[in-house]
Amino acid sequence: MNLKEYLKIFKISNLDFSKSLGISNVSLSRYISGDRLPERKILEKIFQITDGLVDANDFYLEKKNPNLLSEIQKQKIKEIVNEIKKGNRNYLAKAITIIESTLLSHKLESNLLLSKLPSNQNSIRIGITGVPGVGKSTFIETFGMTLVDLGHKVSVLAVDPSSNKSGGSILGDKTRMTKLSVNKNAFIRPSPSQGHLGGVAKKTNDSISCLEAAGFDIIFVETMGVGQAETAVYDMVDIFLVMLLPSGGDELQGIKKGIIEMADLIVVNKADGNLKKSAEITTSEYKNAQTMISKMRKDLTPEVLMCSSIESFGINEIWNYIKKFIEISRNNGSFFENRQKQKIKSIWNNLNSRLEFYIEKNIKTKEFVKKIIKDVENNNLDVNNATDIIFDYLSNN
Amino acid sequence: MDKKKEYKEWENLASQELKDKNLDSHYWNTPEGIRVKPLYTEDDLKSLHHQIGLPGLPPFTRGPRATMYTNRPWTIRQYAGFSTAEESNKFYKEGLKNGVMGLSVAFDLATHRGYDSDHPRVLADVGNAGVAIDSIEDMNSLFDGIPLDKMSVSMTMNGAVLPVLACFIASGEEQGCSMDKLTGTIQNDILKEFMVRNTFIFPPKPSMRIVADIIEYTTKKMPKFNSISISGYHMQEAGANQVQELAYTLADGKEYINAAIQRGLNIDDFAPRLSFFWSIGMNFFMEIAKMRAARFMWSEIVKKFKPKNNKSLALRTHCQTSGVSLMEQDAYNNIIRTTIEAMAAVMGGTQSLHTNSFDEALALPTNFSARIARNTQLILSEETGICNVVDPLAGSYYVENLTSEIVKESKKLMDEIDEVGGMVKAIELGIPKMRIEESSAKRQARIDSKEETIVGVNKYKPTEKQKINILSIDNEKVRKKQISRLEAIKKSRDKKIVESYLEKIKNAASGKNNLLEICIEAAKNRCTVGEMTSAMESVFGRHNLSTKTISGVYGSSIKNDGKKDLIEDELEKFISKRGRRPRMLVVKMGQDGHDRGAKLIATGFSDLGFDVDIGPLFQTPEEAAIQAVENDVHVIGVSTLAAGHKTLVPLLMQSLEKNEAKGIKVICGGVIPPDDYSLLYKLGVSKVFGPGTNLQEAAIEIINIL
Repeated sequence: MNLKEYLKIFKISNLDFSKSLGISNVSLSRYISGDRLPERKILEKIFQITDGLVDANDFYLEKKNPNLLSEIQKQKIKEIVNEIKKGNRNYLAKAITIIESTLLSHKLESNLLLSKLPSNQNSIRIGITGVPGVGKSTFIETFGMTLVDLGHKVSVLAVDPSSNKSGGSILGDKTRMTKLSVNKNAFIRPSPSQGHLGGVAKKTNDSISCLEAAGFDIIFVETMGVGQAETAVYDMVDIFLVMLLPSGGDELQGIKKGIIEMADLIVVNKADGNLKKSAEITTSEYKNAQTMISKMRKDLTPEVLMCSSIESFGINEIWNYIKKFIEISRNNGSFFENRQKQKIKSIWNNLNSRLEFYIEKNIKTKEFVKKIIKDVENNNLDVNNATDIIFDYLSNN
Repeated sequence: MDKKKEYKEWENLASQELKDKNLDSHYWNTPEGIRVKPLYTEDDLKSLHHQIGLPGLPPFTRGPRATMYTNRPWTIRQYAGFSTAEESNKFYKEGLKNGVMGLSVAFDLATHRGYDSDHPRVLADVGNAGVAIDSIEDMNSLFDGIPLDKMSVSMTMNGAVLPVLACFIASGEEQGCSMDKLTGTIQNDILKEFMVRNTFIFPPKPSMRIVADIIEYTTKKMPKFNSISISGYHMQEAGANQVQELAYTLADGKEYINAAIQRGLNIDDFAPRLSFFWSIGMNFFMEIAKMRAARFMWSEIVKKFKPKNNKSLALRTHCQTSGVSLMEQDAYNNIIRTTIEAMAAVMGGTQSLHTNSFDEALALPTNFSARIARNTQLILSEETGICNVVDPLAGSYYVENLTSEIVKESKKLMDEIDEVGGMVKAIELGIPKMRIEESSAKRQARIDSKEETIVGVNKYKPTEKQKINILSIDNEKVRKKQISRLEAIKKSRDKKIVESYLEKIKNAASGKNNLLEICIEAAKNRCTVGEMTSAMESVFGRHNLSTKTISGVYGSSIKNDGKKDLIEDELEKFISKRGRRPRMLVVKMGQDGHDRGAKLIATGFSDLGFDVDIGPLFQTPEEAAIQAVENDVHVIGVSTLAAGHKTLVPLLMQSLEKNEAKGIKVICGGVIPPDDYSLLYKLGVSKVFGPGTNLQEAAIEIINIL
């Protein structure tokens, strides 16, 4: 989009923008009117500040289309949609990158992309959580290979934590999925959490749509079993599986009771070798403790099963239970009801992140919010008043 | 009383000289967590955690033999092997003419992992980093003209230990040397493979059974052969500090004793044939103290099994100068490093020694560099007079105190292992691996921030690049030769007999018969290494490593000298342009399992703010390309050590093109001969990094490439 449109949409005054560019207001007006072309350095800066929304082309080419996306971008998205439908991995991978991107231009592209994707009600979305070391990836490797052998197309979205300090991450899931990761009927994509739990959830949800459009009928969403991310994942899957180690209470395993309560299926992993006996004990303990596993879904009682990913033991039972679970929930309608509800929930999630995004990108608002927050930090203002002030400010703008 | 006064006086003088009242700041905190004082006195000998004793007598702190080098110097044993058996044979004979006293065979990675040279997964591995052995025929060529009843042979083999040892024994018999006369060592130390070196084949449980089978068989039939070489070497190479190396190796040893005793063997029948293997790095006194501490601790450990023979308590060891201390930059400095390390090994009382060639950070040794490496030992042994006195540093205030501190610290680590139920359990939990990787990341951070000096690398850098002649192997030629030989063997042998032996191996694997005994017969009847391995694999399965990575250690250990801020700025710019962090896939293709470099890159770069994907070990180039596409990375970082890059990188480039992913950049790092740089750049590689690269500088370069 051109600079004028950008400033209008984001309600940024010429003066503010010229300040952040480090040029005079007069120069900026000349750029906007097209009397002068910005030099390379300024172009780069504009590109940066506007998150790529305003690029060099916008100064050189006259845009006839008032829409925010250029024809070239639209064409690109159309191509991606077509290729995804054909099951092209490269495009699927690119689409997920666009979805996960923090660039505003990518955001617009991904909105268009998602609106063009067909919805798929035949897939099964399986959420898997558990503490690090419980064997989630190894389980998905074994389980996934079994499903592929049965003729399914399996995909895995794994969310790995980004470091709070450096922002970087290590994405090592595939080292534990050596067979599945090279199978033609499987697609595995690890993603960094980017330290923003709500954000991941939304993006993961959109990635699921891409995978389904590409023909994957089983979708695993794998997360670390320790935080809020679980609730977010629960809200985007059809069945939620919590994985435990043999023996030890929840506290010992670092799993919050609330997460156990959400489980549709509890799996005690590593029921092999010396641990088999203690896996049996853990399984029966959880089976007996009905208070710990409460019924979250209609007509369905959560089950506790054990398995060994290494010895491929118990895998069939888990698959049978999942099939039964999906069948019942489809028959009583809760499957569709659930997905419908999840959609509504994601509106709120989206709104939330949109709001943050807007504040972040709008220089004036950002300054205003910063000031209010500072007041709260300094105890000059209480939380409720601060919220009111920000809300009023936003609604008046 | 006087002494106390005297010491006070020294303290005063020292403070004056240092212009610092607080002497504390002049203590040296070693990476092992030991506080080294600026001065040691006789007080420091008072409460030692070890006994000093006499050489040849328990607890053997001063050496396993009474006379040590005064009677006979250590064995000069140079580790070597490359290309075909014939080429290696020539190299061995050259060495034996020039002072080498014992052989030490390096096998190629295909052999290590139990694949014959014609297997599709080992395209780039045949003849690299060692000699290719597919069958007894290759073994016969390897020792052609070398009498095995007179020459002691050490073999570094762990994964495919059964077929290779079987071929060796059978080859001896065909040469006319019965197995009871064979001398030497088989490494057969599988536990450290799971910890650091990764050239395992089967899961831990059957692997331990194989170790016990070998100890049992050799104890009964090969009285002069060392059934195992319990190795700390690879731990230090992977980044372990000396205390970790010591503690984990001794803990491994304890586990092997337990396995043999469970087999019903008597401790005195096998303990004297257990041997050890240390890495000797640049921390001179620490290494000497480590070796002395090791002997004391081992005698304590074995004592608990109630041996009647004192020989069971004595730790005998081989040493090798440290490979990670070799630098690509200013490579001639490596000669000096190796000399110092060799001297530490000798002062520490080693039984045999390998000295590295100075060009090994670049490629395989040439005849010239191998000669210098041998001469280093000959000069130490014959020109210095070091051999004339047993354990010359005993009684030194510093060395004895350091020995004692190492004993103390190592015991702590061993207790941690005992608490979780022994080494097998600890390895399953990933404890030693994690600790070693932490040490490794910390050390890199110290070097990158110049807290630790490496001359010619992070200080006193040479302005000119020297040209060093190196040896390179035409891997494709070796592979073709091996394949045609395999075909010939397969034509000449009786198929039915082969089948029947492979069937017997399977039965033994699922039953209780000694696997080595059957493998020897199978080897005689021309079963190949790959065939024997896959027969066992059909019962045991092939082990998959679950890669665990640490994070935060590098980041918190690095000193901020402005580079960190620079990286953050660059990253911010990158993110605002691309909408995400730079994403890099670190791959280790081929059968080389040394993943210290790859792990270090992964943890280092993620601490610097990259998103880092890791590929599974033993990936093929095609698999790496697919992973790169699916994860939509910006760049692939290829870590290579074993000269596989010349085959693997072209294949990777082809696979990327085939998968329509030419936009993904490729960079390489590791042991890459300078002559190969231009080849790699021609292939389209964006940047090549050698050993000793500063991670922060590399990060900035990579961001700029992207």
